[in-house]
Amino acid sequence: MATRTPGDALARPVAGSTAKHTSGRGHTRSAVLLLAPFGLLFTAMMLAPIGYAVYQSFFKTNRSGLGLGPSTTVFAGIDNYVTALHDSRFMSSFLRVFTLGIVQVPVMLGLALLLALLLDSRGAAFKKVFRQIYFLPYALPGVIAAIMWSFLYAPSVSPFTAALRHVGLEVNFLSDDLVLASIGNMMTWAWTGFNMLIIYSALQAIPGELTEAAVMDGCSGWRVAWHVKIPAVRPALILTTVFSIIGTAQLFNEPAVLSQVAPTVSPTYTPILATQQSADINNYNYAATQSVILALLTFVLSFGFLKFTQRKGTFA
Amino acid sequence: MLTVASLVTLSACSGSGDSGGSSSDGKPVTVEFWGSAVGLDKSVALWNKSHPDIKVKYSQIPPGSIGGYAKMQNAVKAGNAPCLGQVGYDTLSNFIATGALEDISQYADSSKGNFVPWTWQMTSVGDQVFGIPVDTGPMALYYRTDLFKKYKISPPKTWDDFAAAAEKVHTANPSAYLTTTPQDAYDIGALTWQAGGKWFGTANDRWQVTIDNPQTKKVGQYWQGLLDKKLVTSEPMLDTAWFKEVQDGQLLSLVSAVWAAPLISKNLPELSGKWAVAPMPQWTAGQQAAGNRGGSATVVLKGCEHPKQATEFATWLSTNTDSVTSLIKNTGIYPAATSGQNLPAVDQPSAYFGGQNIYDVFKTAAANTSTGWVWGPTMSQVQSDMKDGLKKAGAGQGTIPNAVTSVQDSTVAAMKSQGLSVGN
Repeated sequence: MATRTPGDALARPVAGSTAKHTSGRGHTRSAVLLLAPFGLLFTAMMLAPIGYAVYQSFFKTNRSGLGLGPSTTVFAGIDNYVTALHDSRFMSSFLRVFTLGIVQVPVMLGLALLLALLLDSRGAAFKKVFRQIYFLPYALPGVIAAIMWSFLYAPSVSPFTAALRHVGLEVNFLSDDLVLASIGNMMTWAWTGFNMLIIYSALQAIPGELTEAAVMDGCSGWRVAWHVKIPAVRPALILTTVFSIIGTAQLFNEPAVLSQVAPTVSPTYTPILATQQSADINNYNYAATQSVILALLTFVLSFGFLKFTQRKGTFA
Repeated sequence: MLTVASLVTLSACSGSGDSGGSSSDGKPVTVEFWGSAVGLDKSVALWNKSHPDIKVKYSQIPPGSIGGYAKMQNAVKAGNAPCLGQVGYDTLSNFIATGALEDISQYADSSKGNFVPWTWQMTSVGDQVFGIPVDTGPMALYYRTDLFKKYKISPPKTWDDFAAAAEKVHTANPSAYLTTTPQDAYDIGALTWQAGGKWFGTANDRWQVTIDNPQTKKVGQYWQGLLDKKLVTSEPMLDTAWFKEVQDGQLLSLVSAVWAAPLISKNLPELSGKWAVAPMPQWTAGQQAAGNRGGSATVVLKGCEHPKQATEFATWLSTNTDSVTSLIKNTGIYPAATSGQNLPAVDQPSAYFGGQNIYDVFKTAAANTSTGWVWGPTMSQVQSDMKDGLKKAGAGQGTIPNAVTSVQDSTVAAMKSQGLSVGN
C-alpha cells in the first residue's frame, strides 16, 4: 500500500492487542467529543460567571474626596466578607429564609406526598383531572402569580380581608406577624403540585407485586402507603427536599412583588434581594461577595442534607 | 454593493449654532435614548421628522427609583448603554460618582445662558457639564374643591392649618383623610427644601451630610404627629390604590410637583372640574417658600459614540419651542429653559382644574424655591433606606424621625465605605 487513505484504517482488520488499545483511546475520544458541547457551555455559562463573581468579591472600588473624579479598584482581601458577616440586615435575611424553610418545606412536601398518595390510591377517580388541577399553579409564571397574590393580600383590595371583616375579624396578611406566613402560603400554593408530580411519578414506578403482596398480607391502604410506598419514594422525597432548599434560599419573586404593597418587606428581606439591592446602589463588589456567600450556604445546606440522608440509609 | 448616499444636512432650528449632525463619513447616526417620563416619545418623534441626519431611538424604561437608574448603571457597567438617559437632579451626583456620565462641556457650554441658573448648577461640577436640564419641580397643594366645600375647609395657609383641616375631615368622616404621609427621600427632601434645611453640602473637598438637620426633624415630627393621631394614611401617592381612594372621596389632597397635574387628569378624567391648586402650606404664616420635587436632565452616558450629536438633541429637547410645548402638555413639565417659562403653554387656564391657570401658582413657587440645595453622591442608597424607613413608620413600626436618623447614619457609612471624605 503505497498511498493510504483515511478509509484504510477502518477497512483493515487489526491485531487484537492493538484493537483493545485503540478502542480504549477511541472511547476516551468519543467521550470527550460528546462531552465537549456540555463542557464548553457549562464553562461559559456557569464556571466563568462564578469565577468572575469570586474574583470581584476580593476587590473594592475606592473613591476619594468628593468622589466626583475617577475611581480606582483596589484589592480588598477578605474585607467584603468581613463587612457582609457584620451586616445585620444581610444576616437577618438568612435567618428569615431559614425560619421560613424549616416550616414551609416540610408542610409543602407533606402535602405533596399526601396528594400523590391519594392520586395513586385504588379508589381515586378523575386522576388526570386532579393531577392537572394540582399542577396548574406551577404552570403559571412566578411573577404573575405573585402579582395575583399581592392583590389577594393587600388590605385595601383583598377579598379575604373583606370576608373576614364581615365576621368581625380584622386580619392584615401583610402585617409584620403574618407576612412571612403569607409568603410561605404563596410558595406552597405554587410548588406543591410540582413536587406532587415528582413523587407521583416515583409511586407509579413501584412494582405492582410489592403492593399486591402487602395487600395479601392484610395491609390496609394506609399501611401499604406507610410501609411500602413511602419507603419506595424516599429518593424522590430527598430530591424534592433538595430542590426546595435551593429554591427557598434563593427566594426572590414573592417578596420582590409583595414589597410593592407590604411595608414590612424591606429591600433586604431575603439574601438575594439584599444582593440585588447592593447592585442597585452600585456596590457591585459587595453584591458579588453576597452572591458568593449565598451560593456557598445553599451548597452547604443542600449537600449537608444529602449527606445526612445518606448516612441514615442507602441513597438510591 | 455599498452605495454611499450623500445626505443634505438640514440645519436645526434651535440656536445651538453648528448642526452638522451626521458622522464624518456622511451616514446618518443613530442615538439611543432611555427615558421614563410619559410624553418624551412625542418630542423624539418631532425631532426625527426634522433631523434625518441624527436618528434618535427612544425606549421607555421604568422610573429611576423603581429600577430605571439601576438599569442604566448596569448598562454602563456592561458597556452597552444608550447614548442618552433621563436622570433626575437628585441622582446626578450618584451617576457622576460612579463614573457613568460623559463630560459634555465642550458641546454644552454655549447653552448655559438659556437655562435657569440653579438647574445648570445641578448638572455641572466645576467646569464639567454632565447633562442638559429639562425641567424643575415646583410644588403646590392639589386639592378637591368639591370635597373641601363638603367638609367646610379652605386651602390651608400654614402647616398648622393643614393639621387642623386633617382633623376636621377625619372627624367628620372616619373613612376620609386629607392626605398621605411622605413616602420616600424625594418627598421628605422636598419638604425639607421648603423648610430651609439642607441634606448635603461640600466644602474643602469633603461632603457634609446633614440628613438629620433640624428642618428635616421638624418635618418628620410633624407627619409623625399626624400619623400617631391617625389623621393621615400612609401609602404611595399617584399609584393604582391611591387613585382608587381619591375616586372614592377618601383622599382629598396631595402636596406634589407640577408634573403631577397630567397624572391626575389622565387617571381621573371623571373628576374634571373638581380640582384646584393652591400654594404649599407654610411653616411661617405669610411666607411663600416652596419646595422642589424632581426635575431632571438629559445626560450623555459613558461610552456614547456620538456625544456631540447626543448633546445637540438633548439641547433641542429642552429648548425647542415645539418640543417644550409638547413636554408641557404631555409630561406636565415646568421648563428649565428660561425661554420655555415664557411659552403660552405655561400660562393658560386648564379646564380640568375648573378653569384655573395653575401655572400662576407654580411660577410663584418656582420663584420662591431656594437654590442652594445639593444632592449627595449616594442617593440610590439614601432613597432605598429612606423609603424603607418611611414605609415601616407608616405601618406603625418605628417613627419618621427615627427613620431620618438611621438614614443619616447609613448614608455616612455608605459614603465612607466607598472612600469618600465625609466631615465638616
